Order: sequence, then structure tokens, then C-alpha cells
Amino acid sequence: MEQSVMEKLTILADSAKYDVACTSSGSGRRSGPGGLGSCYAPGCCHAFTADGRCVSLLKVLMTNCCSFDCAYCVNRRSNDVPRATFTPRELADLTIAFYRRNYIEGLFLSSAVLGSADYTTERMIEVLRLLREEYGFHGYIHAKAIPGASPALIQRLGCLADRLSVNIELPSEGSLKRLAPDKGRSDILRPMGQIAASAAASREAMTLYRHAPAFAPAGQSTQMIVGATPENDYQILRLTEGLYHKYSLKRVFYSAYIPVTEDSRLPALDTKPPLVREHRLYQADWLLRFYRFRADEILDESSPYFSPYLDPKCGWAIRHLELFPVDVNRAPYEMLLRVPGIGVKSAQRIRTARRQGSLGLEELKRMGVVLKRAQYFITCRGFTGAQGGRGAARRQRIAHALIDPGVFNAGCEQLSLFSAPAVQQLAAQGTPPQLAGRLVKEEAVRCLVNAL
Amino acid sequence: MPGQRPLREADIIYSYDGSLAGFFCCVFESFARRELPFAIWDPEAEQPSLCPVRDIPTDPERAARVRRGIRAKLGPAAGEKVAVAFLSGQADKELVLLRFLHHAFSVGPGALRQLGRPEVAAVNNLERNVQWEAEKLRGFVRFEESGGMLGAVVHPKNHVLPLLRPFFCARIGGEDFLIYDASHSEVLLHQGGQTRLEKLSAPLTLPEPDAAEAECQRLWKQFYETLAIAGRRNERGRMNHCPKRYWADMTELRDQV
Repeated sequence: MEQSVMEKLTILADSAKYDVACTSSGSGRRSGPGGLGSCYAPGCCHAFTADGRCVSLLKVLMTNCCSFDCAYCVNRRSNDVPRATFTPRELADLTIAFYRRNYIEGLFLSSAVLGSADYTTERMIEVLRLLREEYGFHGYIHAKAIPGASPALIQRLGCLADRLSVNIELPSEGSLKRLAPDKGRSDILRPMGQIAASAAASREAMTLYRHAPAFAPAGQSTQMIVGATPENDYQILRLTEGLYHKYSLKRVFYSAYIPVTEDSRLPALDTKPPLVREHRLYQADWLLRFYRFRADEILDESSPYFSPYLDPKCGWAIRHLELFPVDVNRAPYEMLLRVPGIGVKSAQRIRTARRQGSLGLEELKRMGVVLKRAQYFITCRGFTGAQGGRGAARRQRIAHALIDPGVFNAGCEQLSLFSAPAVQQLAAQGTPPQLAGRLVKEEAVRCLVNAL
Repeated sequence: MPGQRPLREADIIYSYDGSLAGFFCCVFESFARRELPFAIWDPEAEQPSLCPVRDIPTDPERAARVRRGIRAKLGPAAGEKVAVAFLSGQADKELVLLRFLHHAFSVGPGALRQLGRPEVAAVNNLERNVQWEAEKLRGFVRFEESGGMLGAVVHPKNHVLPLLRPFFCARIGGEDFLIYDASHSEVLLHQGGQTRLEKLSAPLTLPEPDAAEAECQRLWKQFYETLAIAGRRNERGRMNHCPKRYWADMTELRDQV
């Protein structure tokens, strides 16, 4: 029986939803007269799902009929799930209908491997061709390169899309071999290298010829699954840093593994997704990209895991208390960025405002600098650093200010998915969630007080 | 300027027509008399008061002088900042802007970088708030198609339509569309390639969706609901990013209000 568009959309959005990337930034494509759509360089969120994630693009698979059998994936060949395949025309029409109503910024097109990698890519190209050439669509398109597709097809895909991505899937070759036997590491890294080279060549050509074709002007990104395999946080962060440098990636995304299948090679089905860990990885990723940190400053061989109780920047500051407090009126910008609680915007505002006159606490507050944590790491006009008492009491107060309040299930009768593993463990043993949160928090504060 | 009379707090209320030009005439008045009024009222703010009220007529020439003065003495960025902050829905925005202008004219263009000064910080907050809401609505506006026209209703706190205008003209400029700001009875109308921003005297109602439109809305709603991952439910996260006051105008959330 012929499936309706509604049925196909439901199946193919459901299979694509674990893909985390949904950004639409970095492209300034504009349409001429009569064309439809434009890209908005900062990116735009059109909706937020019940799990608080941004919906920017119509994120679907072309098809979920797969000839591969990757253990961690719902769409693997051996899994018994409903299957569907969009025709290129159906998908192009749906994109236009959603785009005109301002539901989306554009299309995020991925696919299971239908027959061969090349055949799948050709069908994806057909969707993009319809959109760009027939409908004159200038909105954002993110296309996923299928591992194993031929270089000529990837080239064509990149000329139609704003962003390309190749999923690195798992953080190490060993894990990839074990869980995704059909995908070789080189199948993943080769297109990544090709995309990086083509994008660089196209940028250079565009400085010479105004009408040189743009190749993936919003660059490329990748994503990996965290928690399905035994790599530690330091390995993942080092890999991330390498990807940013070697392939000039725009973004690396992480996705906490949610068990989708019973398999002896994978964590048990009742394993909770490591959401706190995923959150810490994103925080560290921001430190790499916007705060001028190196991976080996954030973690190292001797302490290769993030603390669930502290954000990575606080963790770094506590290991380097000898560098603090810093004078906000004199400290270099790089150092301002390293003060816990001071973000990029605050650091920039401080840099601008201090040229006009020296800053005190009142000025900082008016500018929107949040002092809850920063006060223990800075001095400014008329302020020599927060004391908060002496000795043990002082350390106690600082520890309370620094610790991440979000992971202790505060104010929640039910166990929050975002609580630290220790809280979840206690709760699983029968402790009421609120009490479990309080106990773990007390313990975490005690540890931190000793470290200060 | 040297030798100028000091600024005096005056027990007077300025009343103007609510337009930016009208506000600039209030600025002219305040600088000419060296007085800071007790309040500045737009037509909607008028209420009984013990203070005397002075009507400030809108004189395009005076407004242009103030506009030029701001650009010349404080720079184009200041002109932009004032224009955006003026779109705010905050009741005392005129006084906040007036205090800023008195301070800025006494200091010069550097005033814009005195981010810790109360007069400057207050205007920056207005501006940030307006830009924040415009940014949200660029994403949250939902059009419905009816008779070849795309129509959307929004209920913003600030007058964001002028900021939405270039965004939507760039993407759906080839079609006819309108965005109706129901909180301020303003409409952005784009028809036959021409764009107008108008104040409406009567509320506007969009027609009920026809079958094709309803089907498209059903598809979108289904897509939206399919995307949520049950194992990661996070209501507070959603509300932080998409405050509930916008839900009533959003196709996918309308019936959850």
C-alpha cells in the first residue's frame, strides 16, 4: 500500500531525530528577484522541542532502508522497524511548504544507505537540485555525506549545499570496527578531507572571481556518540581539537548514547543517557572554540574525566588558584576569558568599558557581568576580592558558589535526567530523589572545600 | 558645551504623538529649556496627574535637526541605538533615552562605550531587550496561507515589526505577506513588491485555514512532536528558549496553552 506523506514524514523524522546538529549559521546566501529564501548568517531557531532543543531545519532521512548493520543505530538492517522512502519531489515540496510558513530555515538531509552509497547520494543530489534549480530556493541546506560515496558526487553535493557533514560516529577506530563493521575509518576521513580541501579551494577562487561556485559556504561539521564505547573524556576532547585543526570543522556535536537495542557489545537497555557528560563536553568544546583553551589544559592523562559537579572552566580555575584574583581593569583579555562566570560577552564589555574609566563592582553589575562566581576571582576599583569570612567558612562559601547547581535534582520530586550519575545511583537504590541530590551535593561540596 | 546652564528637574509632563520624530521634538524641547521633564507620555499613556502637561507638537524640521545632531556628535552607531531602543515597549523608555542623550552630548562619542554608567546601561538594556525579542520572533512567526497571501499574528512586548521587515522581505519578498502585531495594532504589509508599515484602527482577524493549509499545519505539528526525544524531556529548557507568551501564536504549540 502506498504510504502517505504524513506516514513517511513521521517515520523519517523519527529516524533522523537522534542526529544532533541542527544549526543554520554561517551562510549568507541570498536570493535574487523572484527567488525564494535567504540564509541568515547568525542562524535562526524556529521552534524548541519538549526536550529543549532548537529546531532550525526540516531534519529527515531520505530513506531509512539501510544495507548497513551498525549496532548502535535504529535503522540497522537487522532491526525490525517500519521503513519509508521519500521521493525527491515529495521532499522538495515539503521543504518549500514549511519554509514559506517560516517553520524552518531549510533542509537537513541525511539518509540510510539505500543500495549503495553512490545511489543514495544521487537521490539526495536530486532533492537539492530540485530545490535550488527548479524552485529557486536559497534557504539553508545541510546535507550529510554518505561514507563511501564517490568524490565526484560529494563535489556535486557540496556545490548545492550550505553545509556538509560526515559523521565520525564513534571516538576511536577500535570502537568503529566493533560496532560499525560496514564503515571503515578511511570511508569517514577521506570525504572529510575532500570537503575541507574543496571548501578551501572555493574560498580562494571566490576572492579571485566573483561568480566562482561556492562549495559548502557554511563549512562542515561532524558528530559522535558518547557513552556507547569506553573512550574517556580526554580522548574525546583531544579528538575534537584535532578535527578542528586538521579539517577546519565548524562544529563537532556530541550525542549521549540512548540505548536503542539489546546487543552484548553495547551498554544495557536500561542505561541512562549520559546527559551531564554530554553537557560538559559541549562546555569544553566552547572553551576550545571561543575561550582560547587547549584540550590538555582542560583535562589530562592523570585526570581524564570531567567532574560532574563543576563546569570545566571552574575546574581549571581551581587547579590554578595561584593565577587569581585578576584585576579586571588591567588583566589581558585572554585572562578575563578564564575567570569563572565571565563569558565572552562580559569579557568584551569589560575590555570596551575599562578604556573609558576604571570599573568598580557597581559598573560591572550594570554592564550585566554576573558576579556570583566571578567575585572570588577578580579585583576591581574599591574591591579587593570577595572574602566571605575566613578559613573553613570561606572555603565552604566559595565551594557553594562554584558548584554546578543543575546536577543535584534540586526542587524536583522526580529524578531529573540531568542529575549527576551519583544522584541517579542513590535514587536507583531507593533513596528519594530530592534527598539523594542533597546528599551528593554535600559530599561534592566537602570534596571541593578540601581542594581549595 | 562650556558655560551651559545646568540641567534642572522640572515638574512637567511632555505629551507627544508617540512617533520617533515626535520624541526627537521632546528632546529638542528638553535641551532648549535645559530641563528634564517628570515624564514623557505618548497618546496611550495619558492619565490624570497633578503635574502640568505640555503638548509637544511634532515638527519635522526640529526632529531632523536632532536626528542629524545625534549622528554628527555621537556617531551613526548612536543613531541606530536610539532608534532600536525607541521600539521598546517599556513605559518609561522616552525618559531613559532622554537621560542618555543629555549624558552623551556632554561626554561625546565615548559615552557609548561607558557601559557601566547608569544612563548608558539603561539604554543598552532597552536595546538588548528589543533585539532579543526580534531575534526570537524571526524564528517564531508562523504564516498561514489564505487566498494567495501569507498572514501571521504576533503579540510582542516591543514594536519589533521594523526589525522583522528586512528579514522577511529578503526571504519571501516574491510573495504577498502580512505580519500583524496585535499588541500594538500595527501591521507589516508586503504586497506586489511594496512594503508598508501601518497603524490599524480596528483589530484584524485572519481567515480560518482551508483544507490545504490545515494539512500543512498537521504535517508540521506531527514533525515537531516526532522530534522530541522522550528520554531527554526538559520542559524548563524549552520554556527558557521559547517563553510561553509566544505559544498562542505558534502552530505547533497553540493547543498546549
